Amino acid sequence: MFELFGTVFEVFMRTYPGFLEATVVTLQLTAIGVILGTVIGLVFALMKISGSKILQWIANVYITVIRGTPLIVQIMFLYFGIVEIYTMSNFWAGAIALGVHNGAYIAEIFRGAIQGVDPGQREASMSLGMNRKQTMQRIVFPQALRRSIPPLGNQFIITLKDSSLVYIIGVSEIFSLANREAAQSFQPFESFLVVALYYLVLVMIFTYLLRWYENRLDVDKT
Amino acid sequence: MIIGENIHKSFGDLEVLKGVDLHVQPQEVVVLVGVSGSGKSTLLRCFNFLEMINEGSITIDGKKVDPKKDNLTKIRAEVGMVFQHFNLFPHKTVLENVIEAPLTVKKMNKEKAKKLGLELLEKVGLSDKADVYPSKLSGGQKQRVAIARSLAMEPKVMLFDEPTSALDPELVGEVLQVMKQLAEEGMTMVVVTHEMKFAKEVADRIIMIDQGTIIESADPENFFGNPQHERTRQFIQLVE
Repeated sequence: MFELFGTVFEVFMRTYPGFLEATVVTLQLTAIGVILGTVIGLVFALMKISGSKILQWIANVYITVIRGTPLIVQIMFLYFGIVEIYTMSNFWAGAIALGVHNGAYIAEIFRGAIQGVDPGQREASMSLGMNRKQTMQRIVFPQALRRSIPPLGNQFIITLKDSSLVYIIGVSEIFSLANREAAQSFQPFESFLVVALYYLVLVMIFTYLLRWYENRLDVDKT
Repeated sequence: MIIGENIHKSFGDLEVLKGVDLHVQPQEVVVLVGVSGSGKSTLLRCFNFLEMINEGSITIDGKKVDPKKDNLTKIRAEVGMVFQHFNLFPHKTVLENVIEAPLTVKKMNKEKAKKLGLELLEKVGLSDKADVYPSKLSGGQKQRVAIARSLAMEPKVMLFDEPTSALDPELVGEVLQVMKQLAEEGMTMVVVTHEMKFAKEVADRIIMIDQGTIIESADPENFFGNPQHERTRQFIQLVE
């Protein structure tokens, strides 16, 4: 037991400079994945509630295809697909794949949140003479946004962990580092345990921050 | 003020209103009664076009409304509506709730809107709650804010859809009091309610709706004292 603890500690001490650098890459991938996913998600959510059959159809196809295929396939597809047409770094290929993937899930989060706002809110707003646009902008969206924060936070954490999959196209984030370390040092158990701890700590920090933010939002308003 | 003629409304195969004629005079207080499912709330919702009628016509303040051509937004602004479940905006303070429509629809400047909002809150007895969020209010207080919010658009007529049905019994009085005051000030009102005491005291006319048609229309004295229709008699016995 002590022996294991000792070797894990030793691997940790040897690798942490590299891991800290790789953590930055993981966080960058996550941030781009979430921001891009939010923008894409918002666009597709609006398409789904637009009332236009064509826009709804496009959004449905996108969401069905993305949700129906594994992320790792999407990463490979995007990487080899894009590099054919336009040269870009494997980092950006991975980040965009994460964004496109997230977009489908976040679209569903936004759509659910918008449709989850009590229909009475819309009726009250319209009965006061507000038009559809004013009703959406001033009454429905602010409430929907508030509702979507907990599931968005959840999606954020999923993205953080999913970013490990871009190791397949050779992006130097923390999982690829652990993978390399495991092979070079012949200490796979210790290496993967260390990387697991990195993910766990990052997720715990984000969970804490999200909970703090949700609590702050709730004050007075619900 | 409101003229409904031959109003038909169906939801799928279910015909809820089967040719209703109703003329509401300016400053008149009309109370709609009937068992649940009779169509009284639907009728009310047709009057501000939250529901579209399938047949017939609605004239508001002398203007026959064509839902296809007319700007319904503008017409709704002239017809106030108070809901059973208040439907206050939870992300806005009490004052913000009241001045939301004057600001966005009438483009009133903020100072003027605030002044109007505070006046209305004083009218419903809630000046001290201007800056709190609706979640901090009791049901009766919420409904009074909802009334103030509706009045802020200076509507020509006010519709009340079971305004006290979701309230605890001890909170009903404060809401009815505000409504009574409005009636005394000459507001044209159409009220769906089960509060028979309110109907007796405040209504100019009580209308009984049964299975999608008007079966009785009389002043309170005659409605309660001398009902013509058997179903009305049964209903009165049931609620008294």
